[in-house]
Amino acid sequence: MPESNTEEGNGPQQVSQQSAAPAYDPNILPDMLPVYYRRLFPHQPFYRWLSYGLSEDGIFTNREISFTLHDDIYVRYLCYDTPADLEKDICARNPYKIDIGAVMSTRPKNFRIVPGGITPVQRELVFDIDMTDYDEVRTCCSGAEVCQKCWKFMVLAARILESALREDFGFEHVLWIFSGRRGIHCWVCDQQARLLDARGRSAVAEYLNIINYVTYKGSSTPRIQLGDRIHHSLRRALKFVEPMFEEIILDDQNLFGTPKGVSKLMHIISDDGARNELAVYLQKSHEDGTHSRAIWESFARFANSMRTSAANVWSRKLKHVVEEVQLCLLYPRLDINVTKGFNHLLKAPFCIHPATGKVCVPFSVSAVAKFDPTTVPTISQLLQEINAFDDKTKSYMEMPEDKSRIKDHKKTSMFKGVLVFEEFLRKLERSFKENSMDF
Amino acid sequence: MDFHLKKRQRSDIKLEVVSLETKYPHNVMLYKYPPTDDIHIEEFEELALERLRLLRVFDRAATKALRMLSDDWKAYVNAELTREGLRNYLRLCTGGDSKHESDIQTRRRDYISHFILRLAYCRSEDLSRWFIAREMDYFKYKFSALSGPEIKQFLDVVNFSFQPLTEAQKDQVKDGLYESTAGQSVAKIELLDFYKVPFTQVLDLVRSRRCYLKAGFAYVNTHDLVSLVGTKHMDEIEQGLAAAKVFIDDIESDERISRMLKALHNSYVGKDYTVCKDAAVPIESLDQLSKTSYPLCMRMCHEHLRANHHIKHGGRMQYGLFLKGIGVTLEDSLRFWREEFTKKMDADKFARSYEYNINHNYGKKGSMVNYTPYSCLKIIKEMAAPGDCHGCPYKAMDPVSLKTKMSSYGLSPSAIDEVMRYATSGHYQLACSKYFMITHNSTTEPTINHPNGYFEESQIVMGNRQKRVTGSQPQQHQPNKLRSAIKGGADRSMMMGNDDDELWRIAETQERTLQSQQELSQAFDDDLDLTEIQY
Ligand code: SF4
Ligand SMILES: [Zn+2]
Repeated sequence: MPESNTEEGNGPQQVSQQSAAPAYDPNILPDMLPVYYRRLFPHQPFYRWLSYGLSEDGIFTNREISFTLHDDIYVRYLCYDTPADLEKDICARNPYKIDIGAVMSTRPKNFRIVPGGITPVQRELVFDIDMTDYDEVRTCCSGAEVCQKCWKFMVLAARILESALREDFGFEHVLWIFSGRRGIHCWVCDQQARLLDARGRSAVAEYLNIINYVTYKGSSTPRIQLGDRIHHSLRRALKFVEPMFEEIILDDQNLFGTPKGVSKLMHIISDDGARNELAVYLQKSHEDGTHSRAIWESFARFANSMRTSAANVWSRKLKHVVEEVQLCLLYPRLDINVTKGFNHLLKAPFCIHPATGKVCVPFSVSAVAKFDPTTVPTISQLLQEINAFDDKTKSYMEMPEDKSRIKDHKKTSMFKGVLVFEEFLRKLERSFKENSMDF
Repeated sequence: MDFHLKKRQRSDIKLEVVSLETKYPHNVMLYKYPPTDDIHIEEFEELALERLRLLRVFDRAATKALRMLSDDWKAYVNAELTREGLRNYLRLCTGGDSKHESDIQTRRRDYISHFILRLAYCRSEDLSRWFIAREMDYFKYKFSALSGPEIKQFLDVVNFSFQPLTEAQKDQVKDGLYESTAGQSVAKIELLDFYKVPFTQVLDLVRSRRCYLKAGFAYVNTHDLVSLVGTKHMDEIEQGLAAAKVFIDDIESDERISRMLKALHNSYVGKDYTVCKDAAVPIESLDQLSKTSYPLCMRMCHEHLRANHHIKHGGRMQYGLFLKGIGVTLEDSLRFWREEFTKKMDADKFARSYEYNINHNYGKKGSMVNYTPYSCLKIIKEMAAPGDCHGCPYKAMDPVSLKTKMSSYGLSPSAIDEVMRYATSGHYQLACSKYFMITHNSTTEPTINHPNGYFEESQIVMGNRQKRVTGSQPQQHQPNKLRSAIKGGADRSMMMGNDDDELWRIAETQERTLQSQQELSQAFDDDLDLTEIQY
């Protein structure tokens, strides 16, 4: 669907996958969701986020929310007057998925009767990075699978993006979410970001999107031209990429370990002549199946010596070819249409991914390397934890309902995700206080 | 109002020039205040057409994929402006003498004609986008001719109070400036003045990573100021268009003006392909059409879909909207996609996951917006991602596969070379029109800027459709002796004269043309003898 970007999980290729104990069974998701929404979903922080301290008119009430219900029934243009209404509706309908859209010029539910239609007036600047876009550069998994090795691509992506957003654009309120299966989402919530118009979004997206894809010999190949001087944002990206390049590409993935892998390296080189020279050189010096490390060393050595030996294409157009290859393989692969769209719907944090049962938890970039997507709790696990806890204390039944509910997520392994979220909220809310003191 | 009755005495003219000079002090102007001059309807139309010709020149330059303001680009634009008899505008673009009478007259024409076109181009988002893009090209060209002092003077006139960084401030960010200021040598950077502005004011520099960016501020050197001023200029035009849209209904309640304005944009510029006005295209004919009349981008989508029974979201959008544009009905479209997709999934899943999308494209669901088929520009710029079959093949495919593809379509090696020459040098749309000429055995080169345009052109060449005639030669209908005068721009009291017969005649001629066109296209359905159609 045009508005809902997320994964193309509706396609025929979808396979449900099982993770560690207690096994998640998609068939009983409808039975678990009511408990999850009633006892675990952090309604109150969720509202604190979307209300932005009620700093602007209609910021909560005009926000478009959409639900995906059973059988892929998709309800758009929902909106709520109060946090209680929102919570009530979530608990009543138990959506498989909640999407967050833009804040509209008026109540979204009036979309049919407002003359001229409703228009979005603000929206977080969002980014979507999907592991499937890395299939060309990973050998450990493909498609919807994600392991800890793959996650390192996401680690780099998050670090690079976060630093650019903060240092270059001056944004401070950046929320990162694991999307529940194979990707990450980033929500930039600063007011200036929320108020960017379509042109602004598109410019920021293009600024951060440095890889061009060309189809070369039938496969899609990333290409980058760094030019004579390297822009500071890319220099900074290289500072992240270079130290991890060996570990990820050469060791973990051993990407150039097969003839096919070597050709991937070759294809990245944009100049036909130079590519042929390199092919000849590599063929002479290596047998098929040589380890990636050796191939990479040869490549770097060859590029260097060619560059310094004479004035040729290696010293001009390919002056930075080594850096270009590194960025091609490790720079964040953004789905920029998601970022450009003012009116895009994006899955809300703390949803349950229906295929994996995993919670879409926030994570912090400073600890991103320690985040393990394979151990993100599933809804089954959470419910079990909460039951175990209840059994232990036996107090659940006696406590007044809403008090116990607030604390429920603290009894489970979702706790950390909520903490990250609350930390984000604390800073966000502090910025409103500062702002209001300015005036 | 009786301005035109004045005897043209020398002193009169002199007086006028003096006042014009203060009114239009600069070759480069922001079009801020709507003109208040009274002008003849005759001049009104003349100016409108003149500006259209001007903008069309920039449009052609853009489709040539020449780099903006490069020498090639300038040479092309200069030659075209001359060819179109617009040398006076060329003088404005190349820094004409600011005291020269004729230049000042041109500035007036420049100013007024811009406002007239706003009226014609405010009516739809597509039209506005086109108009703004071309106006910006023109503006940048004019601005690029200004010297340092002239730029300063200009900034004063438009009340831009930017202070360059002091040496000390510049020193603090100098590493960033050296690394990230595009198009200037390090030695130059040391000498240049830099301005610190919010990044949102220089989005085009940000987009292409051409400046240093820190904490939300861009550091812009004097040569790139055009970007900054351009943003302001663009805002001005956008607001102007929005304002025009509000009162356009009033103006258009005068049918004569309304017809003229509508004819203007229909005749000249990127058409509105949102809904197909021609006959419905049955989906059974798509296989055949994809071979004869599809541009490569759509043919690839079609073949991919037939072969794989699935196509990614981007492809569904690109191809689905194209189908809508050529006249496939919503019902047919649903059937078409369903037949393919359900070869790989059950009908239920299709209904749940994809039907929404298709309805949506036809404006039947969700946002209720009627989506426009993608233009070449959009397809070329945005539509290719890893492993996709969509996008513009001349850009997205590697040369070897592209060649193989074309030869499998039966193109001769020499023909392929011709197309490849354009494709590899980045002139995708030219490659596309070459491909068109070859596959249609045509000697005239079509301008391709929309896949639906390609299709339509193909159908015309093959004699299956009629060219849209409406006002395609507006000069012919141009009035000769109109005595009525109108007020330009924002003023609503448009028609003042009492002798409007001439206009009515024009209007009627256009109506007739329209009718006969409709009759023709109806006649097609009854198998008209195709040789009778003139192009
Ligand atoms: S130039 Fe336009 S019509 Fe031709 S293939 Fe490319 S996108 Fe399609
Ligand atoms: Zn993996």
